[in-house]
Amino acid sequence: MTQESKTNVNEATERAKAFHQHETMDDTELRIKIDESVTSQTAIFFATSLFWLLIGSIFGLIASYKMHWPDWLGEYAVLTFGRIRPAHLNTVAYGWISLAGAGTLLWMTSRLTRVPLQWGWMLYISAFLWNVGVAFGTAAILFGYSRGMEWLEFPRIAGAIIAVGFVFFALPILKTFVRRKVKHIYVSLWYILASVVWFPLLYLTANFGHYQGVVEAGMNWWYGHNLLTVWVTPIGLAIAYYFLPKVIGRPIYSYYLSLLGFWSFALFYNWNGIHHLIGGPLPTWLVTVSIVASVMMVIPVLAVAVNHHMTTFKHFNMLKYSPTLRFTVFGAMSYTAVSLQGSAMALRSINEVTHFTHYTVGHAHLGVYAFSTMLLFGAIYYIMPRLSKWEWPYPRLVRLHFWLTAIGVIIYVVALTIGGWYQGLNMNNSDVSFIDSVVKTIPYLYLRSLGGTLMVAGHLIFIYHFVLMVKRAGPRRFAPPWFKKPVEESAV
Amino acid sequence: MNLPLAALLVVLVAVIAASVALAAFYWAVRRKQFSIRDLNEGAYSIFDNDEPVGKPQDLMFDDSRKQDKR
Repeated sequence: MTQESKTNVNEATERAKAFHQHETMDDTELRIKIDESVTSQTAIFFATSLFWLLIGSIFGLIASYKMHWPDWLGEYAVLTFGRIRPAHLNTVAYGWISLAGAGTLLWMTSRLTRVPLQWGWMLYISAFLWNVGVAFGTAAILFGYSRGMEWLEFPRIAGAIIAVGFVFFALPILKTFVRRKVKHIYVSLWYILASVVWFPLLYLTANFGHYQGVVEAGMNWWYGHNLLTVWVTPIGLAIAYYFLPKVIGRPIYSYYLSLLGFWSFALFYNWNGIHHLIGGPLPTWLVTVSIVASVMMVIPVLAVAVNHHMTTFKHFNMLKYSPTLRFTVFGAMSYTAVSLQGSAMALRSINEVTHFTHYTVGHAHLGVYAFSTMLLFGAIYYIMPRLSKWEWPYPRLVRLHFWLTAIGVIIYVVALTIGGWYQGLNMNNSDVSFIDSVVKTIPYLYLRSLGGTLMVAGHLIFIYHFVLMVKRAGPRRFAPPWFKKPVEESAV
Repeated sequence: MNLPLAALLVVLVAVIAASVALAAFYWAVRRKQFSIRDLNEGAYSIFDNDEPVGKPQDLMFDDSRKQDKR
């Protein structure tokens, strides 16, 4: 580091120190206190989320194999495609992503507000109710009591249990925010607060309103897409905006752009859901408004993309060292890809090819897996050593986890993108019979299963590693960063 | 015009939600969350003495290589 850059770094650190209002407590002491206040709650959310990741992945894999071996396990009603596939979607959405996301938001909220978590006892109730709701809802789907609307298959009673669980999650977050010891609200905190306020509004409206016919279809996709808008995406972006600069040790490239991105995201994204019903029986103006908003999403997406790229630029060598950074950069790049792809898919001319094809399934996994799930993996790799005061014991397992999941999801998305596009062209071609359009997708479906198998293998390794860490099994590593200086730690 | 109760409720909820969003934005502007000077410093708000600017975090693999060689 040159003398000049050293001086700049020192000045910046002094500025940051002066900016906070916690001069009475040493930074290290405060950080330990904050992390300890969220340790058991965050660990419970993470551990249960991994259970649902395992269950949901197995459901997904069975559903994928059934696409090219349709008779496999067909003699059991519980394991038929019509039940396994929605069970997969709901367990990964409300079990894995929601619970892992909730754990991450808890930890980040305390860190960003610089106060220990408030009303932490509520989170035990939240985790319990949330898991009971997901277990009950999943069982209901498997035994044939689905509501039959995508993303809303859980019976209302399961939805009610999850909703109460969410209240017990949101209150501690809001209380901690009210007690904050910082003047400035960091961009990640904007995303966290927005998701905590928006999600209940969305979930209650969709689950407990009374809708029929076309209005029900409209509500279904307003909800389906907005679950990504108000919950999955804000979690992912909050993670990216915090962990990229934190791991690299440099602030966000353009902080101004990040806030512009947040507010334009808030303005445009929630209008997008109706583009799922292009060609459907809804009023054309309603669909067109949604298409316009989908294209307008290019603004916040480019703001995020430019910011993330420029922040990481010149620091790509750190990908060699940091597991968090590897997953986070992969997730952030996938966000740009999936969002621009989504804007394009909302155009009628493209949608008439991709609609009702595997292309959409590839797009969904680019979003919920390559973007959201990879960011959550990165966050867990960063957070867990700080909570457990125990580093991940086997870096080789982390590498294996990364490459299996990264290669798996790339195979999955590329195969379904190409296969789905040809499928759409064939379906629109009156010279090709429908069954031929189906048969021609089979090679791509085998590739999809291959990608899915790699991802599940990665999950098994990750869960095994997580268990080792929690049990403090395996070799103890003295890697940075720690709560104390490495010299002090090594004496233990 | 005879609007059904559900439509009135939906409009009411939408107006409340939009008002909350506007109020949040107005509050943030009043608190100088978006003033240029504070924005520049806000970007540094995730760093402190304990995890300062210029000190990369999470270099586990770097450390593991050293340990593997031992």
